[in-house]
Amino acid sequence: MIGPFLWMVATSLTTQSQLETVGAGLLPDPVTLQPYRQIGEVFPFWRFALNSLGIAVVSTVLQLFTSATAAYAFGRLRFRGATAVFLLYVATMMIPMQVIIVPLFIELRTLRLVDTYAGLILPTIVSSFGVFMLRQAFLALPRELDEAAFVDGAGHFRVFWQVLLPLVRPALATFAVFGFMSSWNAFLWPLVIAQTEEHMTLPVGLSLLLGRYSPAWNVIMAGSALSSLPILALFVFAQRYVVRSIASTGIKA
Amino acid sequence: MRARRRTVIALMAVMATAGALSACDSGGSGDSATGTITYFTFSAAPDHLKDLDAIRAAFEAENPGIKVEVRTAAYADYFTALQTQIAGNNAPDTFELNYENFFTYARNGALLALDDLAKADSGYDAGRIYPKALAAFQVDGKQYALPSTFSDVVLIYNKKLFDAAGLAYPSASWTWADERAAAEKLTDKAAGIYGDYQPVSFYEFYKALAQSGGSFLSADGKKATFNDAKGLQAAQWLIGKPGTVMPTVAEIGGKADFDTALFKSGKLAMWHNGIWQLATLNDTAGLDYDIVVEPGNTQKANAVFMNATAVSAGTKKGTAAWKWALYLSSSKKTVETRLASSWELPAVNDSAAFDSYLKLPPANRQAVFGALEAIALPPVIGDQQAQMQDIVTAELEKAANGQKSVQQALDDAAAAVTALISK
Repeated sequence: MIGPFLWMVATSLTTQSQLETVGAGLLPDPVTLQPYRQIGEVFPFWRFALNSLGIAVVSTVLQLFTSATAAYAFGRLRFRGATAVFLLYVATMMIPMQVIIVPLFIELRTLRLVDTYAGLILPTIVSSFGVFMLRQAFLALPRELDEAAFVDGAGHFRVFWQVLLPLVRPALATFAVFGFMSSWNAFLWPLVIAQTEEHMTLPVGLSLLLGRYSPAWNVIMAGSALSSLPILALFVFAQRYVVRSIASTGIKA
Repeated sequence: MRARRRTVIALMAVMATAGALSACDSGGSGDSATGTITYFTFSAAPDHLKDLDAIRAAFEAENPGIKVEVRTAAYADYFTALQTQIAGNNAPDTFELNYENFFTYARNGALLALDDLAKADSGYDAGRIYPKALAAFQVDGKQYALPSTFSDVVLIYNKKLFDAAGLAYPSASWTWADERAAAEKLTDKAAGIYGDYQPVSFYEFYKALAQSGGSFLSADGKKATFNDAKGLQAAQWLIGKPGTVMPTVAEIGGKADFDTALFKSGKLAMWHNGIWQLATLNDTAGLDYDIVVEPGNTQKANAVFMNATAVSAGTKKGTAAWKWALYLSSSKKTVETRLASSWELPAVNDSAAFDSYLKLPPANRQAVFGALEAIALPPVIGDQQAQMQDIVTAELEKAANGQKSVQQALDDAAAAVTALISK
């Protein structure tokens, strides 16, 4: 699993002429930082990175909020058709982006949101996977907790915010990592909705480096290596939660 | 990659419907001569953004009141983005199309016929544009795009390897038999030297078929006809190379630009590739090479890739868009910029403009134009173009791997392509 990653890093440190030589080894010789210098010159790399970061953070925070509140409703409130609505929700997980991209694009054009940050973020703020995952986390908590809180006079929002949410923190952290990763790596939607460099995200920006005839692989890999850093950092930071969450799914207390 | 391909197919279906819809809701095209127009291109990023910007600045200076907003995408993703924008009725005013994709867009009603705009423009001189390129972008007698650039495929050869083997250099009168004989003598597997390199793919196959005098589709375009004796000859010509005079598929190992590296390091004698390689070959120290028009079988036929600038059917700034398309096609500034930066060649009928280009190495650079004398354009079938190309390449590869006989692979490919057309 680490192989492709190491290859990426090695290629990003290799000179163009070594890449073009038959039989040259995979390890860079000599090691060069030129590709990293080049990315900043070829295109507004930092602008793309900032866009990606901003969009991923805003989208993840909003996803956490909408998913947790919806999950609480599905897990704890009783209302007519709750199961049917939930199943409908989960069923949308089966519909790939490719199928809805044109209707979605038309919708956003009507709202005049093409080539705007809102257009990039809005379609991503509701996640049926997040609702599903957090609902399961809520269901695993004993109902006696909320009942005790209700007896003490707490309302739904207080029960949700102060009693249950702190207990599903591992699930929240896991979902935050997933949400951030999917937003950070998203390609198809940003490709069609962001039309000027001002709004492009990193993956779309990096794809511009792929010339038609002779791509500079070392520069592309340097960009890719840099763009994988935030994900690595986030994963290291959230690791203990993620591991705990995965572990707890296997143990039925 | 597969998912991407599927997207493209789904989008094409939507585009056909949306093309019809957009004609209704935009209420016909406008022809404003000023304002900001958008231009979407795949050929500028990443190496020629500055050159395009210089062309844009010169255009804006010569046409006060018109601003051009350039948007770029990588070739691999360009058509996904373009189709979504057209289907979403948000097409760029002007955009770049290559010949194979041009037909799909023209037939689906996404492009504006330019004839009226051309008539209204007193400064338009059709004679300045290369006639065969101009004709290639017409459908039913109407001009749907203005050709901007072209490039073609030639036989690139390493002079040192020919000298070492004591062989005469390839000439324009060579046929397949001459190429094969030379390739066999030049191949020295012990030294890691190969005589020839020509991929087993759709693009090489349709061209080899034309070189054998065959035709890919029936005259009415409804049936694949490449599984006849001429098609068999063409397929065998390609499949006979890997493992004998050329590395096998396993040796290439899917490494991108394997052939480029092989030629540059002086271990490949003959290379079927495009003139876009010349700039980087000139930069390679110690390489002594030249080019020649590709050998034919019973006749000459050369692969030519053409790009054009189209105007969206839904644009509100038709006249301004036309001016930009024409500027990109044949203006002095564009021609000079493209030639000076070894971008693709401008499709203009102006031999004086090419003087300095022809003085660059290699010695026989004239072959770039020699190839235009016998052009074999790729067969186009419309929406399923990409699928057709994949089918042909996949079946040829099966034959090359020995999974099928060559005839069987051609029969299967022809049946699949015919079924695809009648869909």
